[in-house]
Amino acid sequence: MPKVRRSKKAPPDGWELIEPTLEEIEQKMREAETEPHEGKRRVESLWPIFKIHHQKSRYIYDLYYRRKAISKELYEYCLKEKIADANLIAKWKKQGYENLCCLRCIQTRDTNFGTNCICRVPKGKLEEGRIVECVHCGCRGCSG
Amino acid sequence: MAMSKTTNTYNRQNWEESEFPVLCQTCLGDNPYIRMTKERFGKECKICNRPFTVFRWCPGARMRFKKTEICQTCCRLKNVCQTCLLDLEYGLPIQVRDQALRIKDDLPKSDVNKEYYIQNIDAEVAKGGDVSLPAGSVGKAAAHSDLLMKLARTSPYYKRNRPHICSFWVKGECKRGEECPYRHEKPTDPDDPLSDQNIKDRYYGVNDPVAEKLLKRAEAMPKLEPPEDRSITTLYVGNLSEKVTEIELRDNFYQYGEIRNVTLVPRQQCAFVQYTTRSAAEVAAERTFNKLILQGRRVTIKWGRSQARQTGVGRDAEGNFSELEPVPGLPGALPLPSDDMHSNYFNLQQPYSIAPSAIPPMLMPPPIAASPASFFFPSQVRPVGMQAPPPIPGFEAPLPKATPSSSASSPAALSSAPKVHYPSQDPARLGATQGVNKAKWSEMMHNEPE
Repeated sequence: MPKVRRSKKAPPDGWELIEPTLEEIEQKMREAETEPHEGKRRVESLWPIFKIHHQKSRYIYDLYYRRKAISKELYEYCLKEKIADANLIAKWKKQGYENLCCLRCIQTRDTNFGTNCICRVPKGKLEEGRIVECVHCGCRGCSG
Repeated sequence: MAMSKTTNTYNRQNWEESEFPVLCQTCLGDNPYIRMTKERFGKECKICNRPFTVFRWCPGARMRFKKTEICQTCCRLKNVCQTCLLDLEYGLPIQVRDQALRIKDDLPKSDVNKEYYIQNIDAEVAKGGDVSLPAGSVGKAAAHSDLLMKLARTSPYYKRNRPHICSFWVKGECKRGEECPYRHEKPTDPDDPLSDQNIKDRYYGVNDPVAEKLLKRAEAMPKLEPPEDRSITTLYVGNLSEKVTEIELRDNFYQYGEIRNVTLVPRQQCAFVQYTTRSAAEVAAERTFNKLILQGRRVTIKWGRSQARQTGVGRDAEGNFSELEPVPGLPGALPLPSDDMHSNYFNLQQPYSIAPSAIPPMLMPPPIAASPASFFFPSQVRPVGMQAPPPIPGFEAPLPKATPSSSASSPAALSSAPKVHYPSQDPARLGATQGVNKAKWSEMMHNEPE
């Protein structure tokens, strides 16, 4: 079923153009939520959730800020309806955080020593050429 | 019920809190910048099962995170690192160290006994002990051991800090691939005795396979056995450089006991050091074997042979009587009263003219009537120039000959001073070494055979 709409008003004009894609992404999310956990690490089961969430927000952000394909009204409507994550998009507007994977990875309160997640370290600074998948969202490096 | 970590009232076993971990260099790793987390009462001590402060840190790139496994009380009892349970000084297993230092530490291992003991030690340390010193019997025993120095590693062994083997990879199922932090290597052979180690065994020094392996290696190290002939007190010192002098030899060897004689044979690059006591010689052998270095060369130490069979060595001071001559100061060598007083126990007036032959076999040859000075010295006069067979059997025979000959020759020899066996008896000698007036030594030594 389509995502529940909290506002009584009808969606603004360009809605019909973006709706199918959004519906697809939401469908993917539903599938990710119901996947069995077999063969995965405990944290690994959550990674697709974060990925899809990022994807959805990214779609809307791209449409408005990069391609300028939707109106401000429609954009704000999406934010209000929580179709895109406003906080995450707020970070993307900052320099250095353009490709931020999720909000957990910059939360310093979550780490032992008050640092960011390992995925925030630019690849150039991370010596030894090792592959990291961060434990929160499975990101492989979201800066640099 | 109180469930928080800090509740420990009602005489419960005291949970341990500490400010700083007790760790060895290898466990800390090669990086001088370490970030460590501290968790009060994070885990139970693996030995005493009390909650204690757990410290956790990363010992370097590609290393697993290490944490303290035993509490500080347990660690202090044995003077070991909190994580690896190896000795703090030598980095050796507890069993090896205890055996080398002969520490007999009987910690109770079971239940209440253990808790009680740990509680007491805790109280003792808290009361006023210095937190950094080892408690209990290990603290008292802390002697230095050469064997342990030899067995210890010289550089840190960081392979200990590597991550564990990836068990998924062993089965072929590791999905993480490159990113996997665990080791993708062949696991060690399960038949290898080193693979079943147990932290309690390692701590109590019982049945530790690593320790056993090390001890076997220690046994196999070259050793110098003392010879069975108990009268040999000479050490052969080989591989001497040309520059080594007798003074240097004396300086190095006098610390183990009184040197009777040092003979240097430069053309064979060796020397013979003779001690007055067998035990001194044994100590010297043990302390210098494979250790002493003179003029940059490590000298070989071996036991000297019984004097009669020595070759290439001057027979001057080491003539036969060095083996056979009874040592003064032993019960058998009590000085006799003078001849005429010999049997005169009651201080009667008649002198006993056949005193020499009536001497009980255990005593030394009779004092020479001509010798001056105290009683003690006369007893040392040897039947000079005489082959001295073991006193007991052949005693009677040479005696009659001895008295006249020795009394004839001795006045000449004794003209200077009372006879000395050992350098320390030389009244003219002050201090420990005779280095200053070397001529006097050889003079004394050479005087005796005559």
